Amino acid sequence: MLNMDSEAIPNRRSRRQMRLAPPRAEMPARVIHLKERNLVMLKQDLIMRNPLRLLGHESDDIIGPGRFGAVLARAGVGKTALVIQIALNSMLRDKNVLHISLNEPVGKVNLWYQEVLGRLAQMYQVTPLDQLWDTIVPHRFIMTFQVEGFSAPKLDERLTDLTSQGIFSPDMIIIDGQPFDQDVSEVLGELKMLAERLGLPIWFTVTTHRHEAPAPDGLPIQLSPVQSLFDVAIALQSVENTIHIKALKGCSQAETQPQLILDPATMLVVDSVKQ
Amino acid sequence: MTTNTQNVRNIGISAHIDSGKTTLTERVLFYTQRIHAIHDVKGKDGVGATMDSMELEKERGITIASAATFCQWKGYQINIIDTPGHVDFTIEVERSLRVLDGAILVLCSVGGVQSQSITVDQQMKRYNVPCIAFINKCDRNGASPFRVIEQLKSKLGHNAVAMQIPIGLEVDHQGVVDLVRMKAFYFTGENGEVIEEKEIPDNMRKMAEQKREELIDSATLFSDELTEAVLEEKPVSEELLKSAIRAGALKRQLTPVFMGSAYKNKGVQLLLDGVTELLPSPAEVVNTALDLSADEAPVTLKTETNLPTVALAFKLEDGQYGQLTYIRVYQGKMAKGDTVINVRTGKKIKIGRLVRMHADQMEDITELPAGFIGAMFGVDCASGDTFVSPGVTLTMTSMYVPEPVISLAIAPKDHKAEINMSKALNRFSKEDPTFKTYVNDETNETIISGMGELHLEVYIERMRREYNAEVTTGAPQVAYRETITQKAEYDYIHKKQTGGSGQYGRVAGFIEPCEEDFIFDSQVTGGTVPTQFIPACEKGFKNCMAKGPKLEFPLTNIRVVLNDGASHSVDSSDMAFQAAARGAFLQAFPKAKPVIQEPIMKVVVETPTEFQGPAMGSLNQRRGIILGAQDEGVMCSIEAQVPLAEMFGYSTVLRSLTQGKAQFTMEFAAYKQVPQAIAEEIAKKAAEKKQKVA
Repeated sequence: MLNMDSEAIPNRRSRRQMRLAPPRAEMPARVIHLKERNLVMLKQDLIMRNPLRLLGHESDDIIGPGRFGAVLARAGVGKTALVIQIALNSMLRDKNVLHISLNEPVGKVNLWYQEVLGRLAQMYQVTPLDQLWDTIVPHRFIMTFQVEGFSAPKLDERLTDLTSQGIFSPDMIIIDGQPFDQDVSEVLGELKMLAERLGLPIWFTVTTHRHEAPAPDGLPIQLSPVQSLFDVAIALQSVENTIHIKALKGCSQAETQPQLILDPATMLVVDSVKQ
Repeated sequence: MTTNTQNVRNIGISAHIDSGKTTLTERVLFYTQRIHAIHDVKGKDGVGATMDSMELEKERGITIASAATFCQWKGYQINIIDTPGHVDFTIEVERSLRVLDGAILVLCSVGGVQSQSITVDQQMKRYNVPCIAFINKCDRNGASPFRVIEQLKSKLGHNAVAMQIPIGLEVDHQGVVDLVRMKAFYFTGENGEVIEEKEIPDNMRKMAEQKREELIDSATLFSDELTEAVLEEKPVSEELLKSAIRAGALKRQLTPVFMGSAYKNKGVQLLLDGVTELLPSPAEVVNTALDLSADEAPVTLKTETNLPTVALAFKLEDGQYGQLTYIRVYQGKMAKGDTVINVRTGKKIKIGRLVRMHADQMEDITELPAGFIGAMFGVDCASGDTFVSPGVTLTMTSMYVPEPVISLAIAPKDHKAEINMSKALNRFSKEDPTFKTYVNDETNETIISGMGELHLEVYIERMRREYNAEVTTGAPQVAYRETITQKAEYDYIHKKQTGGSGQYGRVAGFIEPCEEDFIFDSQVTGGTVPTQFIPACEKGFKNCMAKGPKLEFPLTNIRVVLNDGASHSVDSSDMAFQAAARGAFLQAFPKAKPVIQEPIMKVVVETPTEFQGPAMGSLNQRRGIILGAQDEGVMCSIEAQVPLAEMFGYSTVLRSLTQGKAQFTMEFAAYKQVPQAIAEEIAKKAAEKKQKVA
């Protein structure tokens, strides 16, 4: 036994050395401190394993600067959980996310993040959650508005407040709770201009209704007047006991790719293959 | 004096600062004929409200200490505890909530649910205090009671439902429509003491009916009888509806909402009716004590006078006749001449004089039965002490007391002040468990510590006014801590053989981070460290926790494992092993990557929207992480986490940034690691201080 071990160790070590030292002459090596190492690896790990990246075909953010994305579902299916995972995915890559909620108070939105991150960490067995949380929280800013008080000029004013003082400059915006039942073309038009000017992608959540038949292109009827503004639309559909994530528009979900689903127990995105 | 607890209500009035709770209390006392003239908090007559008996309170317009007062309304006896509204005094609020059976949550119809209301509501939840809400200031510009009800639902998660609707708002506010009785009430007379009951105005009938539907709908959850009546479309009687609402309110699953304006004398009497009809009597509340003889097992107390006495001292005051101790009797009774035992000290106490308080006047009584609140004279005790009949070993649960986060060095100006200062400090630390005082051994300075800057400021002010003690203060100090971030091993031999008997002890093991403050784990096998010396090792390690070797901050979250060692048959002693432990700790600690932690406060700034930018900027400058901004029409609130060290003098800064229109509250959130640059600065300062002392 002893002999085998002593032989095995140098072998293993040399193999690992070979793997760890690829010929990278062009790039200066980045020093990762021992204390940091865990956290950096952990973040990488969470990003790599995140099935969400399957939705993004070109960029990591699924949608590019100035573009709109929509998450569609009926009430209570998990829109917020999904957009928060999209947000966390960006935050883990050190991108700033501005989360705008039109119906929940700040504390509750914050709880959503803690909960989703906690479950993600649990799923991937990441242990020092506090540290991870502390490193990603500065990348997030929550704003809440009353639905009637929300408008693009107001958002612009707040954003200028934040950016001019160097408090926070977002790389991505999430707008949760914008009602699409009324006429939204004006608000969205203004937001589109703002998004293009600032070069920010914006995600919306859209509540669909059971009693309304979708338009011919598969998108819900209330999105029809403004559908040209959206580059990506992802729908959550509950089929039997699972919630399928279906790209209605914009995402190149290849046939060969596994189907993505939202686990109804944890509200996390998973590959159906893993199930 | 009756002993029937059915007609007793022990209630508190708690709210955000400036929501008008002291004004409301004042009106309640006026209508219950306890006082015969109304003086407002910041009134022109300069008398000040009756409840605010401390001079300082009158000057600042805030209520500091909770005065207990007694009044009668329609045959009910009501004890009112007026609680302070500022977050720096939350221990006072918590202590009063402990003795309450119900509470009125006062909200401003303009400001709505503000940060402090949220804190107070959480405290009520912790002590499971049923409450009714009163939306005050309906006469103010921008009053919107239904928006406040929405906020009660969304922000506090209350199942809030309107019991009334206002007749006219802002300047037109005249009275309210009672949705249970379906009548309109107007308040006339010089001080609103004349109540006129009229039919509901025609233009309001439709709204009243709709709101009554909502009320009945929410109440059906708590009464099958009511549900049946509604389903069979029978008329719903007043009693039936009230009993259903009461059932919901007692379970804290329904919050009935009253409205009016205390300042303009509208709706207060109906609120009093609500208190008597909807809040519980002492007998309806479950109170538990801990049995000391049975390993602190919880025991349910019964509100009966013939059982052994259990009473709690919840507040102390220094009166002209000596110490006044406010007590609540939970079981049995306290009578003049009785002997009771203070469970904490084990001392016997004879009750000399019992009184019932009304702010700063009092009324002598002979006995205080279970469920009642009163005060006694000439008893030496601390607040939070339990009094019991001889032979009983029950204690009321030890109240949750947060650790102080800020400290300040004080020095008396002259010799006279020195004596008075020590008197004052002695009194304050007895009155308020969050206020601590000690003398630093090295610098010989007197240090006071508490929950915030204002908390300490008020005590210094009180020292000056009440005790005539002038003191000078040093710069406030933040309570830093040190902890370790990784495992480190130690192996240390303490050996000394110079003169006298020798000392020998060897200890080996490791230290590592953990969740608790300090754990000592002995895993010694084979008696390498003899059993009798293991406690000495523990003591040695534990002594090291009080002060870090380099920066001298207290150490926390360290687990010490001892797994090997050696001893000498003659030279080993307790002392030797203690010294060995100390040496071992000093050896391992630097290797365990120690870090400094600082208290981080949760800060909520409420500001008019136009000042949102500057307010956020000011938080950002203070190393704050802004969690979010909440837009609520005219006002917005900003939530942030800011290190306490950066918050000194913030109130002045915020005021000047916002033309005095913003306010902020803060409370302790967590200890977090200090950034590297700041840590170096702290280390530098600590080194300087050390040099100075040497």
